[in-house]
Amino acid sequence: MKTKKHIKMKSKLTLATSLIALSIMSFAFTSIVQKTKPWPVPEKNAKTPNPVKADKESLATGKSLWNLHCASCHGKTGLGDGSKAAQLKTQPQDLTTSSLQSQSDGSLFYKISEGRDDMPSFKKKISDPEDLWSVVNYMRTLKKS
Amino acid sequence: MKLKINIGKRLLTTSVCLAACLFLMQTTAFAQDTTAAAKDAVIPAKAKPVKNTFQSIWIIDNQTVMVPVKGTFEMDIQHRFGTVNNGYSDFWGLYASSNIRIGVDYAPINNLYLGLGFEKYNEIWDGSAKYALIKQTRGISPVSITYYGNLSLDTRKDPTNSLFTHYTDRILSFNEIIIARKFSDKFSVQISPSITHQNAVPGYLTKNDSTGRTIFEEMKHDHFAISVAGRYKLGDATALLIDYDQPLTKEPTNNPNPNLSFGFEFSTSGHTFQLFMGNYSLLNPGKNALFNTNNPFDYTQTGGTKVKGGKFLIGFNITRLWN
Ligand code: HEC
Repeated sequence: MKTKKHIKMKSKLTLATSLIALSIMSFAFTSIVQKTKPWPVPEKNAKTPNPVKADKESLATGKSLWNLHCASCHGKTGLGDGSKAAQLKTQPQDLTTSSLQSQSDGSLFYKISEGRDDMPSFKKKISDPEDLWSVVNYMRTLKKS
Repeated sequence: MKLKINIGKRLLTTSVCLAACLFLMQTTAFAQDTTAAAKDAVIPAKAKPVKNTFQSIWIIDNQTVMVPVKGTFEMDIQHRFGTVNNGYSDFWGLYASSNIRIGVDYAPINNLYLGLGFEKYNEIWDGSAKYALIKQTRGISPVSITYYGNLSLDTRKDPTNSLFTHYTDRILSFNEIIIARKFSDKFSVQISPSITHQNAVPGYLTKNDSTGRTIFEEMKHDHFAISVAGRYKLGDATALLIDYDQPLTKEPTNNPNPNLSFGFEFSTSGHTFQLFMGNYSLLNPGKNALFNTNNPFDYTQTGGTKVKGGKFLIGFNITRLWN
């Protein structure tokens, strides 16, 4: 008898925990449906000028880094259709649009360098800042005219 | 036997020539750089070390010259399957018993990488340290030079002391200097001379009488070897790899075989995957240098028949970086 009661109490506890879990999950799901949240960039970073000239060498460096580090999520041409994109909680934006491309080089640099949620931080993965600037230069070529 | 010494000597000569070429080509490169700079009238701000001479810390069976950036944590999984010689019966070695090493590495400061790993065969723990001494930089150094040291401990149970007389007999040390040059975005080569030290070698008495004792040691305590490895990139994420290891020290008996391995490397941002064929079945640099029984060129079967084509096996390395 005693054991039965114990089991009953246990199942109640399970029910309560699953309810909590469910409510947490529903929150998680809402955030997926939500539009991408704004990504503020400190003014100082946004205004940092790009020190690397977008010459042939810089674009070549940027392209090969893009293909190695970014294309799996953002797609080869920046549309957000990389092979890994479907598994991400947040959808990578279309980077070819003029609204996205209207951001300053400094803003893009800041976002790539710091990362957020599913977007990794590339400060250490691409440890030379000049290479990160080259990636920004290459991203400019993805813009749809 | 005699042939082997010749190959060793020839290889040494070749390597020396190669090293000389590395420097020579640098001089030509300089000449070109100056003209290019004059034409463009652009003065490069400050020469920087070249990047990504190799993608991974591994090139098949050897360490590359690379040391990841400070704060990097890495996990490696390495597999070596059985030799392909049995064919279908064990599916070219894939279903034979395989050797596995799992390792972790961390870069506490810039240019230093510390590692710890465990190998299935002989239950070997290994600790390693790698330090980038010089980095290839235009106008400063034509090559990158890195030191790599590995200390391994055989942890097999031995209650009757039949394997090891002293505890220190379980220890093997491996030290090497890796000299590398990135010739172009696609093509890199490295040469690494190494020395492996074993504390205990097998031996027996050849004379034991009133006039004294003579002991015959089957191997020497110090063994020199040299490795040459290269990478050719096919794209941003794919590359061809080749690696050759040549023993240099002539052992009294049990001479180890050279190793020839080749394969592909596939990389993504945080992973590299190398898939290859080679002769080394062990996953410790010192053990491989001393005890490789698989010859790449031909081998002698039990019974004495010589077989052409050598003994190869399939293997892979997977690395995962967190930084
Ligand atoms: C693992 C997948 C993944 C990889 C790899 C990745 N990104 Fe992202 N990226 C994302 C996601 C997801 C977002 C949206 C993040 C958000 O809004 O919170 C994003 C956002 C961005 C943004 C910000 C767009 C905006 O809203 O202004 C930029 C710029 C960007 N990525 C560039 C890069 C570059 C350059 C690389 C390679 C160096 C890269 N990303 C690699 C997933 C990835």
